[in-house]
Amino acid sequence: MNMVIRGARLIDPSLNLDTVTDLHIEDGSIQAIGDLSGLTHDHNIDAQGMLLCPSFVDLHTCLRDFNQIQKGTITSETQAAASAGFSQLCPSPDTQPCSDAGSVISMITSKAQAAGFCQLLPVAALTKDLNGSQLSNMEALSRAGVIGFSNAGHDIGDNTVLLRCYEYAATFGLKVMVQAQDHALGQGHMHAGPTATRMGLDGIPVIAETLSISRHLEFMQHTGVSGHFNQITSANGVELIRRAKAQGQAITADVSIAHLCFTDTAVEGYSSQYHLQPPLRAESDRQALIQGLADGTIDAICSAHQPHESAAKCAPFAATATGMATYDMFIPLVAQLLSTKQLTTQQLVAALSTQPAHIAQTQVPSIAVGQVANFTLIDLQHQWQLDADSQVSQGTNQALNLQQLTGRTRLTWNNGQISYNR
Amino acid sequence: MSNLQLTSRGELKHFLTLAGLDRLMLERILDTADSFVVVGNQEVKKVPLLRGRTVVNLFFENSTRTRSTFELAAKRLSADVLTLDIKTSATSKGESLLDTLRNLRSMHSDMFIVRHTDSGAAHFIAEQVAPDVAIINAGDGRHAHPTQAMLDMLTIRRHKGNFEPLSVAIVGDILHSRVARDQIHALKTLGCSDIRLVGPNTLMPNSIGSMGVTTHTDMDEGIKDVDVVIMLRLQTERMASAFLPSAGEYFRLYGLTTQRLKVAKADAIVMHPGPINRGIEIESAVADGPQSMILNQVSYGIAIRMAVMSMAMSGQMQQRQALVANPTNTEAQV
Repeated sequence: MNMVIRGARLIDPSLNLDTVTDLHIEDGSIQAIGDLSGLTHDHNIDAQGMLLCPSFVDLHTCLRDFNQIQKGTITSETQAAASAGFSQLCPSPDTQPCSDAGSVISMITSKAQAAGFCQLLPVAALTKDLNGSQLSNMEALSRAGVIGFSNAGHDIGDNTVLLRCYEYAATFGLKVMVQAQDHALGQGHMHAGPTATRMGLDGIPVIAETLSISRHLEFMQHTGVSGHFNQITSANGVELIRRAKAQGQAITADVSIAHLCFTDTAVEGYSSQYHLQPPLRAESDRQALIQGLADGTIDAICSAHQPHESAAKCAPFAATATGMATYDMFIPLVAQLLSTKQLTTQQLVAALSTQPAHIAQTQVPSIAVGQVANFTLIDLQHQWQLDADSQVSQGTNQALNLQQLTGRTRLTWNNGQISYNR
Repeated sequence: MSNLQLTSRGELKHFLTLAGLDRLMLERILDTADSFVVVGNQEVKKVPLLRGRTVVNLFFENSTRTRSTFELAAKRLSADVLTLDIKTSATSKGESLLDTLRNLRSMHSDMFIVRHTDSGAAHFIAEQVAPDVAIINAGDGRHAHPTQAMLDMLTIRRHKGNFEPLSVAIVGDILHSRVARDQIHALKTLGCSDIRLVGPNTLMPNSIGSMGVTTHTDMDEGIKDVDVVIMLRLQTERMASAFLPSAGEYFRLYGLTTQRLKVAKADAIVMHPGPINRGIEIESAVADGPQSMILNQVSYGIAIRMAVMSMAMSGQMQQRQALVANPTNTEAQV
């Protein structure tokens, strides 16, 4: 499709671009950027006040499918991702069956390809079946196109096994991604703080995260593996990453949109929609995460999208499934972060597109003449209600269901094709 | 949470936690219970307040004492009582809590007495499963046990009077205690300003100071000059899970002995939610001594449960009538 988008604010951190102008797309490529008022075209989008930026890259998401189609399918969830401005996704290996074999990886990517909404850059399991005892076929998996290896939410308790995981990954120069939380200390159901105490829920102390980060940093340094930390949650965690980077360690980190926008007090009243792993923490932690993004300690924002069917969240709090479907409320939450002015638009766009693209070692989508169209157009002022009719994800665990939200994607281009158009 | 257990007119319709209930409400419960203490002393111990109503005891967790006092309280209010042992049967057949409850609700029950190992279970049932059945929380996880806390308040009020000048120490396993949290809410709401928690750091919850209490690791310092000593039960499995080294060391440091009780005021009363572990948290001479209120607590427990059950049922009835009179008025549900 061909079109002219008029008057949008174009931001591309990789090109240091930040300007209000027009953009012409023809045959899936950017034909012209600049004042196109002389160009007449059948397909015009008046984008005044809207933001046009490289489409987003998600370093951590769960797309379900296979044995979890009651929660979501690759088609439904990649479509939801496109509606949130994403075009490249790194699905977590805790799929059912587990992403520990080349055949599973190729099933995942071919389903996404057929659906056409997003390109997948899967993360494979670090150990077979995520069992923490046997190495996965890392070399073969990397040939199948995975961008890194992670044991997802399954902490590897045995240091001998973990050392060998790192040594084997180092042999082939592979990336290890870590969701840092100590298994034994992570047995609770929410952040260990006043809310947990009052509600009588088992707490997960911050030390569950910091112990694990320190431990993995040691292994990364010892083996020279390039490591990435998914979903940092605490101020102390941010500080550990900051110090390691200052000492020259080649590591990167991301934070989930939920941890940037919500705190443990959201659990008040046993609201199972806010039952997350790793848990939402205190306001001081949330502020430190924002600060970490602002000063470059944290490189990227991920969705940590985890769709569920309604029954998964309908039980006493501790018995409910963890995770939040975040794609449908992703742009409103980004708009909310922008409105606080703690982060600039450029910083947020970089954390959503160029920086995660570097970490995933994928092509950095850019907005330049001659480039294939890979961008998203966002109306930051659009008012709408999130409900069963407006949501795109199959997940019913929408924390902001029935609320009035501000900010919505207008259009997403994925690799020269329109993947979302409202 | 306060909204969930009150009708739009501020009447009790569920009884889930003492958090969010005001002083007037707590005093009304205590006053109502006072009148039921008398019923227990009569030749005929029944009043007809719950006649024709069906009360279902749903104990997902073992409890002899709480279950039997609830059953007795319901019978003294003339209700039809069904006690289900669903601890094993429902789960072993793979039925979810939600489905078990939906089935029971379809039997047109008027009240569920719920004990469950998960914090927030009673809250979940009241909010999402059976808003039109009065839910009485008989203990959920380590969150709340409001009838136990209220019977403790009744004991204190009947033996000490006004709450304002009192110093109260709660001793032992605060971390795992659902009673302690509700006791703190109740004592604060009723005006008590000196609430002390005593125990080792392993049994003290994170940020408990935010609830307006002081914490003490030294027993003598914690109970010095207090009017009320509330001892909590110590589960023996705490030793196996590394909270404590041994029962002997615990008794030596935190056990209530005749000697140690002398640190408290001379007329201090001693309470315990039971069942007591003699020689682990309390010496027999103290448990059976003149300052002990342990058996009074049991009989006050029936009165408190009668009070709460009759009040919540009355709130539910008002709400149902409001709905019948104006079915479209969803406000009446809140």
